[in-house]
Amino acid sequence: MFLEVKDIHKSYGEKDNRIEVLKGISLSIDKGEFCVLLGPSGSGKSTLLNILGGIDEADSGTIEILGKQMTMLKEKELTQYRRNHLGYVFQMYNLIPNLTVRENIEVGAYLSKKPLDIDHLLVLLGLEEHQDKLPRQLSGGQQQRTSIGRAIIKNPDILLCDEPTGALDYKTSKEILKLIEDINREYGNTIIMVTHNAAIKEMADVVVRLRDGMIRDIVRNVEKKKAEDLEW
Amino acid sequence: MVRQKNPLRHRVIREIFGDLGKYATIFIMMVAMIGLASGYLIAVDSMQKGYAEGFSLYNIEDGNFTVANKLTDDQIDEIEKSGNTIYPIFFKDVEMEDHHTLRMMVERKNVNQIILDEGKMPTRMNEVAIDRNFADNNQLKIGDHLSSNQYDYEIVGLVSFSDYSAMFSSNKDSMFDAILFSVAVVSEESYEAEKAKEIYRYAWQYESKAKDEAEEKKWADEFVSTVRKNSELEEYVPQYLNQAIFFAGDDLQSDSSMIHLFLYIMLLIMAFVTSLTTADTIVKEAGVIGTLRASGYTKWELFIHYLSPLLLVIFVACIVGNLLGYTYLKDVMRNLYYNSYSFPNYPTLINMEAFLETTIAPVIIMIVVSVIVLMRKLSISPLQFLRHDLSRKKNHFAMKLAHSISFFFRYRLRVIFQNIPHYFMLFIGLLLANILLLFGLSLPYTIDHYEETIAEDLLATKQYILSIPANINLEAESMEEKMALMEFMQGIETETEGAEKFTLYQLKTHNAVKEENVLVYGVQEESEYIDQKIPYGKIYVSTACANKFRAEVGNEIELKEQYEDKVYTFKIDGIYPYNSSVAIFMNQEYANEVFDLGEEYFSAYFSDEEIKDIDEQYIASEIDAESLTKVTRQLNVSFGGFMRALRIATFVIFFTMMYLLTKIIIEKNSQSISMVKILGYTTQDIQKLYLRATSIVTIVEMLICLPIANSVNRWMIEDYMSARMTGYLPYHAPSNLFVRMFLTGMIAYIVVAILEMVKIYRIPKTDALKNVE
Repeated sequence: MFLEVKDIHKSYGEKDNRIEVLKGISLSIDKGEFCVLLGPSGSGKSTLLNILGGIDEADSGTIEILGKQMTMLKEKELTQYRRNHLGYVFQMYNLIPNLTVRENIEVGAYLSKKPLDIDHLLVLLGLEEHQDKLPRQLSGGQQQRTSIGRAIIKNPDILLCDEPTGALDYKTSKEILKLIEDINREYGNTIIMVTHNAAIKEMADVVVRLRDGMIRDIVRNVEKKKAEDLEW
Repeated sequence: MVRQKNPLRHRVIREIFGDLGKYATIFIMMVAMIGLASGYLIAVDSMQKGYAEGFSLYNIEDGNFTVANKLTDDQIDEIEKSGNTIYPIFFKDVEMEDHHTLRMMVERKNVNQIILDEGKMPTRMNEVAIDRNFADNNQLKIGDHLSSNQYDYEIVGLVSFSDYSAMFSSNKDSMFDAILFSVAVVSEESYEAEKAKEIYRYAWQYESKAKDEAEEKKWADEFVSTVRKNSELEEYVPQYLNQAIFFAGDDLQSDSSMIHLFLYIMLLIMAFVTSLTTADTIVKEAGVIGTLRASGYTKWELFIHYLSPLLLVIFVACIVGNLLGYTYLKDVMRNLYYNSYSFPNYPTLINMEAFLETTIAPVIIMIVVSVIVLMRKLSISPLQFLRHDLSRKKNHFAMKLAHSISFFFRYRLRVIFQNIPHYFMLFIGLLLANILLLFGLSLPYTIDHYEETIAEDLLATKQYILSIPANINLEAESMEEKMALMEFMQGIETETEGAEKFTLYQLKTHNAVKEENVLVYGVQEESEYIDQKIPYGKIYVSTACANKFRAEVGNEIELKEQYEDKVYTFKIDGIYPYNSSVAIFMNQEYANEVFDLGEEYFSAYFSDEEIKDIDEQYIASEIDAESLTKVTRQLNVSFGGFMRALRIATFVIFFTMMYLLTKIIIEKNSQSISMVKILGYTTQDIQKLYLRATSIVTIVEMLICLPIANSVNRWMIEDYMSARMTGYLPYHAPSNLFVRMFLTGMIAYIVVAILEMVKIYRIPKTDALKNVE
């Protein structure tokens, strides 16, 4: 198995204010699979994504990626893990305001020994004409494309997407989802996407539904819908 | 595969221009600090080295003596048998039109050489070369004419005299006069033609150099007795007592301590600004840092990235500061001295020490501070950055505020609580800026007040200090000598009503930071002039002495002889209110005994009336309000330019500090400001919430800063400066000065507030839409 998560617990706060946000999460994902973590607000999906991304720590439980225990890694090793294996896409893009589109994507390329071809990627992202613009000159969709470009250019093993369409309109959201789908198909990265949009589950290989810090069910889609066919 | 260069490098220049206010502030402060301090140190160091080298380069005398009649060849031979060489340095003091006095002499080849700065030396009748400083002070140039009562002279050259760097017409003067008195070279023909009285002064040089002042004093005493035996001696001045030669050098030395003090305060400010701006950058960039860290960027890569803009600004500021220092500012600083002293044009020397102090040290301090702040700030987790949760504290509790307090007031209190660390730093910044500003403002007041105090505080209207003429031998052997001594003893008696004899003796401090002269007043027990009965064996110190050495009643004070190692320890029995000089008072009988001067000895008079019946030759100097205040007037001239420069520099610092800190607070809250804008708050409402909170804090902090700055300045002037200068300068800052300072601060703040109002107005509403979990 490519990614194996076992009995992850996580809580915040202390004593009386302690809230357990993950209550024993276990799941496994194969290489190249498109996994959607679905759930309402407060279900723990973003926390799980952050733990998988090595930017938050689990209280207990194990995460094994490519046979390596991630929960045992020290801070420096975690940085290397993120550097070598992960790409991150955030809801609000988090682009660097004083770098151009191309330079923002280069920020990701720099981290990889074998980055993808940036010109090809710019075409794929539909940003070829905007590559010399600063983020503030772009629409929300274009900014999110840039953010995806930054994450994907290093050709990561896993692409983590935290509500990537959360701030976008319907049409743009579908364009972004199609882009993620294309990337998954073209580069074969494992994609884990957090969303509360139930419609998106239909384009995933695996759907993990969370509620109140626990897995409600894990569904493997026999047939996936194309992003462009999704409706909500 | 060739490793790609870090793409973040593209941001470095953009980051600087994107936050121009911040980086420009750092740049201006660095350039001002480096430029002013290095300009000063380079100028002073070049002058000091040139001045010191001048002693051998221009063959400066080891002393001079004046005789009533020109020495004959036989007399010269007799005197030179001592092994010392003498050279004639005759002159005539010529009264010029416009009331100037020009000391004219012919060019000297062998001793006390004259340096030609511009033009040529006079070779013909009616040509003159005048002192460069005198020319500057009187707007004279080559080709202009000067007239004495007899002749008209054309100025053909500008010169500097190696033995007249400070224009003392007489060594008895307490202060030089660079305006009305000067020295000049004329041709032999002109010199002969001038009718003014010729003064027969000879310079002497020892066979070798004395190893210290004590040896020099011994040699001088031996030499003068030889001269006395062979001539009609009127005056003699060994080199170490010659103010025309040493005054300027001593002044250069003492002023250096001021600039070092300025430099240390600036260093503190710079370190503080650096830490603040670096921390601010991290706060503003939290989202970017979180993303980059989550993407796999290492702390080290980000550390280098966030250090780079600052390093670049510092680097350029160092270059610009040093360039300014070595070119324009060096001349500005040099002219502060060239307006008072007659130095030749010394070459500018590369000064590694100045470079180290003004450039390397600040750069290292700024880098170290940035590194510490960055290391600390970057050590939190990527998630915390993404959540903009940069506080290390885990528990956040909202302080309870009564609901009865108005909403706006509560909101402002919340803004203040939220920004306590920033307001604390604002306080430190204001304090440092206030200290510097007060220093620049209060020193002239201190000097003026000192002048007034001296006038009010005189022991007597005049103190006449007697001198033993050079031809008097206290251990007279020959009949001629005995007659002369008797004549002297009678000559120093006065019939002037109220004149009171006292013993004035000079000692030096022992084991002090700076060797300092201490006057010993041996006064009569029932003195009319000292309002304190001082019994035999009791010691009183002047307030100036007590303050300077932090001495209290019951303490002991150690003093030593001027040129010997003999040390005296006196127990202080009281403090006498006298601020004009560092002095101790004792019973005259006791003083004469302690210093082995003889029972009847006295060396000075107190008198409220002018003493007219003592021959001038027996009076070494007169201490009165005018002579004492000459020093303060010259202090005003010497420090005047420096203080003006310091006031301007500190105002710039004051303003930039306020701007920087207020800017940080507004920027830190830009998201909240944007959010309340969305909610429908007007710009005026927002100003009431954010800017007024800062205004209240600024006013309160300014008010707290003033008394602290006052105490620090008192310490700096009374302890630091006084320890490094001769005499004691009691600190004085009148209350209206603080009102002025406060208003200055407020004016600076109003300008800053207006700039920030514009900034608030420009904060886009979209800022609030940024993702902050």
